[in-house]
Amino acid sequence: MSLVNVFQLLVSGIAMGAIYTLTAKGLFITHLATHRLNFGQGDFLMVGAFASIGLLVAGVPAPLAALGVLVLMGVLGFLLERLAIRPLDRLGDRAGAYSWVLTTAGVALVLQNVIELVWGKSTQYAPPLFSATRDNVIVLFGVGIFIEEAAIILTAFLVVGAFYWFLFASRWGKAIYAVAFNPEAAALFGIDVRGVVTLVFILASLLAGISGVLVGPLVSVHPHMGLVFTIKALAVAAAGGFSNPLGILVGGLAFGVAEAFSNYWDSAFGDLYPLLFVMILLAFRPSGLFGERHADVR
Amino acid sequence: MPPTRTHLGALRRPPRILVYLAAAVIIAVFPFVAPNAFFVHVGQTFAFTAVAVIGLNILLGLSGQMSLGHGGFYAVGAYVSAILATTYGWPLALAMPTALVASFLVGLLVGAVALRTRGLYLAMATLAFGFIAEIVAQRWVSVTGGTMGLMGVPQLDFGDFRRGPTYYFWFAAGILLLAQMASDYVFASAVGRRLNAVKESESFARTVGLDVSVWRIGVFAASAMLAGATGVLFAHQTGFVSSDAFNIHLTISLLIATVIGGLGRSKGPLLGTAILIAIGEAVATIHDYGAMLYGGILLLVLLIFPEGAIGLFARLVPKRPATEATAAPAVFDPRLAARNARGGRLEVDAVTKSYAGVVALRNVTLTVEPGTIHALIGPNGAGKSTFINVVAGLYAPTAGRIRIDGADVTGLAADRRAHLGLVRTFQNLQLIQSVSVLENVMLGMRRRRSLPLDVFDFLTGHRHEARERAEAGSILAFLGIAHLADLMPKSLSYGHRKLVELARAIAQKPAILLLDEPVAGVNPQEAREVARIVTVLRDAGITVLLVEHNMEFVMGISDHVTVLDFGSTIAGGTPAEVQRDPHVIRAYLGTEETAA
Repeated sequence: MSLVNVFQLLVSGIAMGAIYTLTAKGLFITHLATHRLNFGQGDFLMVGAFASIGLLVAGVPAPLAALGVLVLMGVLGFLLERLAIRPLDRLGDRAGAYSWVLTTAGVALVLQNVIELVWGKSTQYAPPLFSATRDNVIVLFGVGIFIEEAAIILTAFLVVGAFYWFLFASRWGKAIYAVAFNPEAAALFGIDVRGVVTLVFILASLLAGISGVLVGPLVSVHPHMGLVFTIKALAVAAAGGFSNPLGILVGGLAFGVAEAFSNYWDSAFGDLYPLLFVMILLAFRPSGLFGERHADVR
Repeated sequence: MPPTRTHLGALRRPPRILVYLAAAVIIAVFPFVAPNAFFVHVGQTFAFTAVAVIGLNILLGLSGQMSLGHGGFYAVGAYVSAILATTYGWPLALAMPTALVASFLVGLLVGAVALRTRGLYLAMATLAFGFIAEIVAQRWVSVTGGTMGLMGVPQLDFGDFRRGPTYYFWFAAGILLLAQMASDYVFASAVGRRLNAVKESESFARTVGLDVSVWRIGVFAASAMLAGATGVLFAHQTGFVSSDAFNIHLTISLLIATVIGGLGRSKGPLLGTAILIAIGEAVATIHDYGAMLYGGILLLVLLIFPEGAIGLFARLVPKRPATEATAAPAVFDPRLAARNARGGRLEVDAVTKSYAGVVALRNVTLTVEPGTIHALIGPNGAGKSTFINVVAGLYAPTAGRIRIDGADVTGLAADRRAHLGLVRTFQNLQLIQSVSVLENVMLGMRRRRSLPLDVFDFLTGHRHEARERAEAGSILAFLGIAHLADLMPKSLSYGHRKLVELARAIAQKPAILLLDEPVAGVNPQEAREVARIVTVLRDAGITVLLVEHNMEFVMGISDHVTVLDFGSTIAGGTPAEVQRDPHVIRAYLGTEETAA
């Protein structure tokens, strides 16, 4: 394995890792505010990828296509909250403790089926977003890297940066933390708790959508790709610590890079090793690498 | 002599063993009355699928743990048995049990993630596990055959190819009957109650002596084993095992059967599996809409009728009036409540507890003499609740030792301390909402009869848990709340809930009883009643350590009072001594200077 290889694997790993991070952020923010999350997050990503392919293939310029996908994903996030999350609150005690896992998974199944009916079961390839073909290469320090990958990394980091600004510096971010800390108290302070809950699900869906747009040129796209992304985003969020937004960035990148290298070494089962590692990690450090432990004592 | 109880409801219902015998007869004749071989095949599939659904129902419905990876355990069972029987030529009688053990062990491993984490992580870990199992089955072609499948897996036909399907049906349905009996027993016995307790409140479960980790991982592994059993039966039904069978949709369909039948109801899986198989047959004709149908069903059931089909059915049929409770409770003898005649001796030696730099308890030493009432008082924030939690074992002290009757228990978990007779109540109540008041009290009791005898009682009828019920009823009567036995804790007043907690604690037969604010928020008349009860318990030989703000209560019943302020002991003695102590007066009322 040459140094050039190492560098290329690193770049590919960071590109995928950035996408895992974006997808996991969506899980993080809904979990923060509501202690629930979308078990179809990867399927939302899949919908974003297909919508983006559809628009690009129809000749819509990339920025407009991305905007169109964002609008669609915003609506989907809103509908998810209205359909699969809010009604559970109305049921109160009648709803089981983890019903949201199954209702969000149910929505994911419906989405898979819809996409399958529109695009068929076959694999699709997204046109490149940032360059003329998928394989355009620029040479950096004597190493060729794909322009797509580099641009995707850049975009993903811009979005992550915007996310942090939103979470830590904006009024809405403070409202989200207030709701996370204590919904009743937040309501007494005049925060629209329902609105915040809707907002976080829309945000999560947007993040999945952006990931979907970005991931299109990197991988093949098919209606059942979502599960893998759900699992990996969950693994990243858990490894980084569900309560630690910076941990997710580190966890996501580490996961992507680890996966790139383990795939290189073992092409048959390489993608499973990082997952196994996260599961073992969780058995020993239940709150992830950076999360704090909270004892359940009343 | 306790009066004989009447069991009108129980008499009307035939003993369960008769129901099971009837089911066995139906199973025996089904292959002969089935119109054709297809029905027998569907019956086989129903039988083995329901086994996995029963396991999921106990896991989700009773223990509140979510699994999105049961398809994985199903795969482990199927592959281990199929590979051992095919590639290695093991006889089925050996391969099948080995596969069960394998799925149980894998369940233990995956469940280890559940040990210290909450539901979300378990859902995540199981989802990942199911995915990994599917990928391994798909790609490890040299062992599993991948998507092309493992062919020539021996069918379970007991050596008679022609009658094989009938024998197989009997075998699978027999296993289902056993699994259903086990499930019914779990739901109707102390096992189910305890699973509910573990689900709802870890603190409560530890307090009544349950090792929460063992219960959680145990039920998870047992449920994994049932899914494995289903996999084993699946592998030897048709003799063909392909990795295509074990994708996420398998797990989802098992979950659908669980929720559609009625989550947390013992008969739910039977109905749910029947509905699932009916849907499966329907989907075959509209295959393109399968995922949508399954997703839609999940949403519909969980959002519109979360009680499932059994729940709908129950709504149509009027509920049988509860007759399980004691009609005329036996007279409670407080002396029976004590573990021994003398009461335990509790020594707390130089205990310090700090949280991230904040010292909640500093070097607190006190001894509670056997058979006395010892009160711990102090202003808000003095560290009283921390003290109770440290003594009970829910918090580990930063320094110091705790001894019961001279034995060091500092390193023991709360549930181990409970076994030694260290019993507590909670300031903010911990009652299990999903079981009745009487059963909350019964949760405090240890098993009286051996498991086989209890199962025998359960099968033969109305005497099942009769003694426990009578005893719990008598404790409730002793506290003057026998009439509340059949109610759910939610519908009780605050004062009554406190009494139920006390009843649960008494049922645990304490040697040392820790009462955390037993009369806070209780009206004066009830407080006097609690004072009388606590005194009776002390006289019966129970050592009492209580934390309380109500001074009339404390000074009226205590033999000894210790005063805490800012985490340190500032005074101790008889009530009269403490009331005169200048430090105490200063702590409560402030000094002249600060007051001015």
